[in-house]
Amino acid sequence: MQTTTSFAVLLTALAVTAQDQRPTALVNARILTMTDGGSIERGTVLIRDGKIEALGPDVRPPLGARVIDVAGGTVMPGYVHAWSGAGLSAAPRAPQEAPDPTRGRRGRGPRPEVTPQPSSGGNSASKRVADGVYERQDVFADLLREGVTSLSVRPLAPGFPGLAARLEPDGTTHGDLVVDPESYVVVAPATNTAGKKLLKDEFDKAKKALEERKKPPEPQKPAGTEGQPAATPDAKPAEPQKPAEGGKPAEEPKPQEPPKPQEPPKPQEQPKPATDAKPAAAPAQAQPAPKKDPNVEVLADVLDGKRKTFVRMSTVMEMQHWLDAVGETRFPMVVVADAPDSRRGRLDEGIAELKKLGATVLLAPRLLDLPFSRTLVNVPQRLHEAGIALGFVLPDDPAGIRDLRFRLMELVRSGLPADAALRAVTAVPAKLLGIDDKTGSIVAGLRADLLVFDGDPLDPSASLRHVFLRGREITKDPTR
Amino acid sequence: MNLALPIGVALAVATITADLSAQRFQGRRRPPREEGGAAPVADAPKAERKVSSWTAITGGDVHIGDGNVLRGATILIGDDRIEKVGHDIEIPEKATRIDAAGKVVAPGFCVVRMQGVAAGGGSEVRDDLNPFDPSIKMALAAGITSFLWQSGGGSNTPAGKSAIVKLAWGDLPSMVKEENTVVSMRVPLDASSMANLRKLVRQARDHLDKVREFEGKADAKPEDRPKPPQGVDDLLAVMQGRKKLWISAGSGGGGGFGGMMARPSGGFAQKEVRQALEVAELVGQGVVLDVPVEAWVVPDEVAATGSMAIVMPRLVVSSDPGRPDDTGSNIAQAAILDAAGVPISVTVPTGGYGGGATVGTGGILGRDLHTPFVDAAFAVRGGYPSRKALRILTLDAARISGAERRVGSIEAGKDADILILDGDPLNYKTFVQSALVNGKVVYRKDEEPFYRHIQR
Repeated sequence: MQTTTSFAVLLTALAVTAQDQRPTALVNARILTMTDGGSIERGTVLIRDGKIEALGPDVRPPLGARVIDVAGGTVMPGYVHAWSGAGLSAAPRAPQEAPDPTRGRRGRGPRPEVTPQPSSGGNSASKRVADGVYERQDVFADLLREGVTSLSVRPLAPGFPGLAARLEPDGTTHGDLVVDPESYVVVAPATNTAGKKLLKDEFDKAKKALEERKKPPEPQKPAGTEGQPAATPDAKPAEPQKPAEGGKPAEEPKPQEPPKPQEPPKPQEQPKPATDAKPAAAPAQAQPAPKKDPNVEVLADVLDGKRKTFVRMSTVMEMQHWLDAVGETRFPMVVVADAPDSRRGRLDEGIAELKKLGATVLLAPRLLDLPFSRTLVNVPQRLHEAGIALGFVLPDDPAGIRDLRFRLMELVRSGLPADAALRAVTAVPAKLLGIDDKTGSIVAGLRADLLVFDGDPLDPSASLRHVFLRGREITKDPTR
Repeated sequence: MNLALPIGVALAVATITADLSAQRFQGRRRPPREEGGAAPVADAPKAERKVSSWTAITGGDVHIGDGNVLRGATILIGDDRIEKVGHDIEIPEKATRIDAAGKVVAPGFCVVRMQGVAAGGGSEVRDDLNPFDPSIKMALAAGITSFLWQSGGGSNTPAGKSAIVKLAWGDLPSMVKEENTVVSMRVPLDASSMANLRKLVRQARDHLDKVREFEGKADAKPEDRPKPPQGVDDLLAVMQGRKKLWISAGSGGGGGFGGMMARPSGGFAQKEVRQALEVAELVGQGVVLDVPVEAWVVPDEVAATGSMAIVMPRLVVSSDPGRPDDTGSNIAQAAILDAAGVPISVTVPTGGYGGGATVGTGGILGRDLHTPFVDAAFAVRGGYPSRKALRILTLDAARISGAERRVGSIEAGKDADILILDGDPLNYKTFVQSALVNGKVVYRKDEEPFYRHIQR
């Protein structure tokens, strides 16, 4: 009892010191709101309780507020990184990497059914990348110090690699880090016969599943019919995707996970022998468990417009092959062009295709060369001029984020409006992720995720002075 | 001399007229078949065809593709196809006009073999085409607007996939219009392979007889329709004239460094040519001899089967001193075959010193497809009549690829694949000024980096 009390006191004390309760006022700042309201040339941003309480030229800092004079400097929203691979490679929790007890006993006992992953990929759309994110990595905090206040990590493999997760970059436990384990569905179509067939087949299955759902509720019957088209479930249960099903309907940020970060993988690992796992897993589910393929269900959600979908298509060639394979299948999508290649069609050559897909674009912020020439093309500018909502794919490492401003500068000096360039790393990706009601712009009521520069953010001589995440100032690493 | 000229002209005219009757080569021994290969044009132009955009190329000297030239003629293009060709053509008001006065207009070149342009390495060409491959523009600069893509084949029986790939820049859906017009196999066949082929042909014949019998019956039920025996689909298609059969020698298809340097006995020599013609007799259709070395020794036999040939005029294979008869390559091969009535196309030496049947910046100019007309010119140097030499790259190349219904000449109803050139199409000084594929301008010399610096 005594220990708990003192523990609680200690925790409160920690919390108090960590979170300065005083409101903070950034005064004399040029405020880039990243809204249609434009910028405020000289004004104050007032931060209280982690939120932006007020902003404007006439806002007076209240008594006792911590006042930071930003004269000559700029306040803008924190970078929103919507398509990151940060921290994914060094994930010791990745279930696949655990030693497999059945390995080395070739021909004896049931071998774990591993779905072959050819270059065209497979469908594991319900696989959550969050389950493979190891929280104790410096990279998240490092990115935060460079200004990335919102971070989404995505799986990256051909086909349907799974679900991306939205992270809170200052999280130290898995639960604090992962705020949305099912942020969006990732599709990475492969441009070959098998890849196009996969797209077509899986979306056909998803369409059937969607039809099943829309039928009047008849719980038993669809269960039987549903199991058949899903030829893969036999192969899937061995993979620890089951929790995805449980978590999906509630869509809760799974608070029960963090207390036992080391434990959960193990029970999932043990039932690897596929035949044993199935009867064991089914009663655990307790419900009458209609045998639905969770991967197909996720795609059915996509077709139903219930999930955000990011499709990795860096070139017009890939978009044309997508239209050729599943052109009639339409759903709101974000086209992610993280590896543009002018030898496979620049996106500005595919504006007709983009409009056909109704897509918004997340694009690598760079100029592209014209083949056989020294001419460079400002693709973002051309897309912007064509009226296509434009976000940028940010680099994955802290040094890259420092470079980001120079990439933007390069685009701006060759014609992209500065406002569009900065929105493309803040408000636009926030909108694509569906978190524009929380962050991504400077509006009263939104989270105070702010960056303070001592000049114009696009000016190479200006440097990043302060980073605020939910109103809390992130101390800069003094060695950098 | 006084007499020779008129006779020569008369002969040339006669040849061309005969060519225009089109069925000449298929019909030497057998009456032309109904299915396949017969119709020179996909759809006859219909008056009611709905056209959303018109283009007119006016005032140029139009090489039709069969050897004839219409001076100062107009080509009217409706969307992706040629609507009319000739003089005094009424041009719709809204038509986009392209002035070709003082220029030469020719059909886009069809190449019978090309690699590394647009097509990936997959088994289905349409699934990994890259419509933005920069080498498409390079090929267009060389005048190439379509090529035959092939995959598989080259075994002891007819097999393989093929497609006519159009170099429609940036437009994936219109790049593949015809598929599987060609299958291929190789010679020499040993006794057992030949016996196997005979067996398959017999099975296919039996099947065709059954089908005929079935179709003759008045009370035939559709479900009783005889099913083709396994493994003869491609052979059946060849026998019915639906697909062209290409025959090459050895595994290298006569091309390659080995093909260039090999002794006649190792290449596509007389013996292999005769066996290929034997196969032609067996299937009852003319075949395509894929770069034969010694077909020039037996031109009449080739012509008698209704076969065609792809030649490599620059191929040099020395004669065999140990044999008393004619052996080795002959630069006059194209001319000799033509005189016998065998349509030919050309291809370039592959391997050895450079690019081969591709376009790129890695090879030695002249040993790749940057200058297909130079290879046609080599045929002319060997005696091929220059007046109709353009056929080598256009109409006859299209026939050899099984694509003559779509491409190869400027005729009403065909795809509008057209070049506008600043001189004679086969002159080495000539440049492609602009190229149209499927009625759209996809290449302009002044806008692309390859040759725009050359201003004369």
